[in-house]
Amino acid sequence: MTRIIDHAILGKLDSLKKVSFQFNGKSYEAYEHETVAAALLANGIRQLRVHEESGTPRGIYCNIGHCMECRVTVNHQPNVRACLTKVEEGMTIESGRRHPTPLKKTEGLQ
Amino acid sequence: MIENKQLIICRCEEVTYEQLQSTARQHTCSARELKLRTRAGMGFCGGRTCRIALDAIMDSFIPDENKAVIPLKYQPPIRPVSFGTVGGRHD
Repeated sequence: MTRIIDHAILGKLDSLKKVSFQFNGKSYEAYEHETVAAALLANGIRQLRVHEESGTPRGIYCNIGHCMECRVTVNHQPNVRACLTKVEEGMTIESGRRHPTPLKKTEGLQ
Repeated sequence: MIENKQLIICRCEEVTYEQLQSTARQHTCSARELKLRTRAGMGFCGGRTCRIALDAIMDSFIPDENKAVIPLKYQPPIRPVSFGTVGGRHD
């Protein structure tokens, strides 16, 4: 996991208690007070969803909760902001899917 | 403005600079109308990311002054809410 454990200014991470959670069916580990976005980033996952219409990959953008780019489904609750939600034990997270656009012919639609 | 025509101005609706420019030229419309036509500023983030860029760009497109003066409105809800919460289902 790529994390700054001992920061020159901020010092050491206070609690190193591990928490496990699931993202798209695979289980990952994170520290107790991390946000979902940070935990996934530390596990090397940058893509949190795709654009609902065009399918382009999307992930963290503002990381302070107002751009909504990091919205994921947490425990079957959709549109939860990953950058503001703390990881809890046994959390199941699903990334956003691409929605069908029957009324709009988007090129390259499989 | 950077000449990159494919520059995406509105992330949520993936509206590019070129789309905005051609729509504005074709319909010579006001800021609000450009928003209605291209959906720029109507995305999930409620215009937080692109409203300022949109206002600035629209000033450069729109020929006469008074049309461009009305800035883009802040539409409720200020944060996306599900129909469940709006409809009172608090489970």
